[in-house]
Amino acid sequence: MTVSEVLIQGSGPEVDPEPRIKKIAGRSPMRIAMDRLLSDKIAMLCAVIVLLYILIAIFAPQLCRLFGVEVRAGDPVTDTDSFNYPIIGPPNYGFTWEAPLGLEPNSGNDLLAEWFYGARTSLMVAAIATIVSTVVGVVLGLIAGYSRGWGDRVVTFVIDLFLTLPFLLVAIAVSPMLVERWKENPAMLDNASLIALIVILTVFGWMGLARLIRGEVVSLREREFIEAAHVLGTPTHRILFKELLPNLVAPIVVSFSLSLPATIAAEATLAYLGVGVTGQPSWGQTILRAQNWFAEYPLFLYAPIVGIVVLVFALNLLGDAIRDAFDPKSFR
Amino acid sequence: MWAYVVRRCLVGVALIMALTLITFALFFASPVDPARFACGKNCSAEQRDVTRAALGYDKPFVVQWAGYLKGLAVGRDFPLDAEQRAAAPDQVTHCAAPCLGYSHLDSKTVNEMVADALPITASLAIVALVMWLIGGVLFGILAAIHQGSLIDRGVVGGTLVIYAFPSFAIAVFLLQYVAVKWGIVPLPRYTEIADGGLWAWFSNLLLPALTLALLYLAGYVRMTRAFVLESLSEDYIRTAKAKGLKSRTVVFKHALRAALTPLVTMTGLDFASLLGGAIITERVFTYHGLGMLTVDANNSSDLAVLVGIVLLAGMIVIIANIVVDVLYAYIDPRVKVA
Repeated sequence: MTVSEVLIQGSGPEVDPEPRIKKIAGRSPMRIAMDRLLSDKIAMLCAVIVLLYILIAIFAPQLCRLFGVEVRAGDPVTDTDSFNYPIIGPPNYGFTWEAPLGLEPNSGNDLLAEWFYGARTSLMVAAIATIVSTVVGVVLGLIAGYSRGWGDRVVTFVIDLFLTLPFLLVAIAVSPMLVERWKENPAMLDNASLIALIVILTVFGWMGLARLIRGEVVSLREREFIEAAHVLGTPTHRILFKELLPNLVAPIVVSFSLSLPATIAAEATLAYLGVGVTGQPSWGQTILRAQNWFAEYPLFLYAPIVGIVVLVFALNLLGDAIRDAFDPKSFR
Repeated sequence: MWAYVVRRCLVGVALIMALTLITFALFFASPVDPARFACGKNCSAEQRDVTRAALGYDKPFVVQWAGYLKGLAVGRDFPLDAEQRAAAPDQVTHCAAPCLGYSHLDSKTVNEMVADALPITASLAIVALVMWLIGGVLFGILAAIHQGSLIDRGVVGGTLVIYAFPSFAIAVFLLQYVAVKWGIVPLPRYTEIADGGLWAWFSNLLLPALTLALLYLAGYVRMTRAFVLESLSEDYIRTAKAKGLKSRTVVFKHALRAALTPLVTMTGLDFASLLGGAIITERVFTYHGLGMLTVDANNSSDLAVLVGIVLLAGMIVIIANIVVDVLYAYIDPRVKVA
């Protein structure tokens, strides 16, 4: 091979002496989408960021030990001065490795530990709420789409009804009641606020997907393969979950990846309004407390906000990339 | 056409009834005694019984619900107990239809409280709507025309970054930096047009409305961009260009039309849900609109007010839904409602 040939053809696999026939067949839509996603650099960067957050959430205790901080170990007497300002770190003193993000005024809790555990709360609540609402949305969407007549009408009515309920209004009004009710059960005492929060996020999270799935099923059920399954006497639950569901993977994955960041933002918003996890670190709660200190102690507020913004931004971009990967019409 | 409107309205009425049922079930099935909260802190057992009778909480759930529906339709008189009304006729409060309830804590009908708060929320929603529509459509078109270029990426990326901020963060930043630290605008405080004129009204609304507008901007930019892009590749756009029309005319008159229908839908529903109260924004800027009213009612456990506001917000959304669907037929000649 001459130099000019190498220049024209390029080196590497192209100059394979036996050019193989490109394989075309045998790639499932899932595989194609996966390949497109893996070749998307921005999406991969976002995936890495999200993975980092997940690791932080999982290994929060170990990370705290690594930085030598302890969660919820602040003592208002020894860690804050007589004006409730922390005795080390910002805002009155410089940076210290004893508390890299400083201590919280009033309580003296370490803010880095609070941040690590806040990631845990945020991700856990959002993940559980999104998974449950996805399951609910898929099941109700399948039922509505596949059952003509009354089943469809009832589910559609319920979807419309829940879409008219104002989310924040109902959330801040209902959550104290849920907490109140569950507090009586000693087994749920610790987690009452957590469970109430997840329930609220779930109850308001399933309608969009249910509508989407219903629409897809309405058009899918007229197709030949469903008719064939029907004629063969396949039981309904088999048609729903073995025939229809695999065809709905794309909208479900896309909807999941886009509603996860929305749920994280909603969780933070609710926490800011005083609804949500109490007794455990949470970014929204930190922001709520940090607001009054903003003028003197901005880092207090910035840390949790950066946490939320970066995570939501990365998840949103990732969700967009996943949607584009599944969309045969889009080119990236 | 009319058959469709009537059918939609009937479904709307059914939805409103279901909505009242759900809110009622939620609030009165709660473990707290509504009469205890309605009566206030220092309340003897007798007073509580009087309050319970006055608000009808001693009746079965279905009777209460029916009474509430009746109030919505024709209005009612408080206290609900006929004997109490006869005993003190001068203290009877008439709540005209659509009666949303009576707040025993404030000794006011919920309608009065809503009437005080709604103009504030509505002003906020209107100014925000204008901001995000102008911004969203202009940036969306800008991004679409320069598809794939740096401008496109900048606009889409920028709106996504803003979108990633929780709404309270935007509000807090705007308040702390623009108003407090830099002093560019005075601290926002709601001023009625009648009090301070149009400019005072607007300049005080600037920051809270901007918060809301930024919140909604991303969605509108992306949707305008997507629909304009789609229509820019259509044949009729090529025809329009080939005719020698100015590119401004092509974009605004021909390409934008395709984005109009989804824009109207989205605007209608977003505006309607905003009218239910922009809780976060109102709270950060302490605007005493519907959102603040909810927060206050929640703090004082004023169930009657909460029920009334949830219902009102739901009803606005239901009505907006119907209006938008009917508007569809006028904007988009391809839509035929059967």
